[in-house]
Amino acid sequence: MIIAEQKPLEELKTLIGDAKKVLVVGCGTCVTVCFAGGAREAAIVSSSLRMATKLNGDSKEITDFTVQRQCEWEYLDQLTEPIENVEVILSLGCGIGVQAIAEHFPSKWVVPGLNTKFLGLPIEQGVWSERCAACGDCILGITGGICPIARCSKSLLNGPCGGSENGHCEINPEVDCAWQLIYDRLSSMGKLDVLLEIQPPKNWQTSRDGGPRKIVREDLRLGSKEEI
Amino acid sequence: MSAKRRVTYIKDLLAKIGLEPERVQMFQMSSAQAAQFAEAARQMAGQIEALGPSPLRMKDKLLDEKQVEE
Repeated sequence: MIIAEQKPLEELKTLIGDAKKVLVVGCGTCVTVCFAGGAREAAIVSSSLRMATKLNGDSKEITDFTVQRQCEWEYLDQLTEPIENVEVILSLGCGIGVQAIAEHFPSKWVVPGLNTKFLGLPIEQGVWSERCAACGDCILGITGGICPIARCSKSLLNGPCGGSENGHCEINPEVDCAWQLIYDRLSSMGKLDVLLEIQPPKNWQTSRDGGPRKIVREDLRLGSKEEI
Repeated sequence: MSAKRRVTYIKDLLAKIGLEPERVQMFQMSSAQAAQFAEAARQMAGQIEALGPSPLRMKDKLLDEKQVEE
């Protein structure tokens, strides 16, 4: 899932600027699970900003509203009424959510309340770790389910760099050497021969390197040729 | 343990908002420790008296006075 972190309160105050009416919008999906932008966080941010701006002698009307997901138009339709007289929308969604709100309500100024960090999972309560770089051409089938692009500091594909020490990365000793993990896993499953198969150079065009990406599924589109 | 974490979080949040973190305190004791409870209550009351009314309430009071003048 998408992992994000709340921006500092001082930065949020700067982002809402002189606006007198602000709506804080929470998101009920990824950012709820990583405790950054869910309903509770939206209420806390809303309340904190009301208090902080009041102490500065700049009282504002700040309310909050949470939708199930900020990345789908149908859920954003629920915001039509709450944003009517609002000057600034402070989105506690990931970068996708912020942009979706801006696109769906082009006359409204939308600012981000979070910093979207990475795609990952909680390895324990309160600790999230990166697992996927969304490269667009998944090779997990030949690396034992461990991604060298997301988990290797250098995103190496040919094996370890030789700098690892006791299974830890030379760049950041707190990071496990991804290739050590890959080797150990394949070895434990008796599949080390997978590493001996020659692989062609990776086509990075499917990754962010190839520019903004899009998927079109004609079989799912409404009014598509298939339907006709 | 959970309460202590929450109190720490709230103190941090109050400081960021601009309020005094000392307005929230945690005291640990059992329900049988009446004397300690009384002492904690006395201590907290003294703390709050020293800090004075909440700045937010003072802002409300100033705003009301301004509106009356207008």
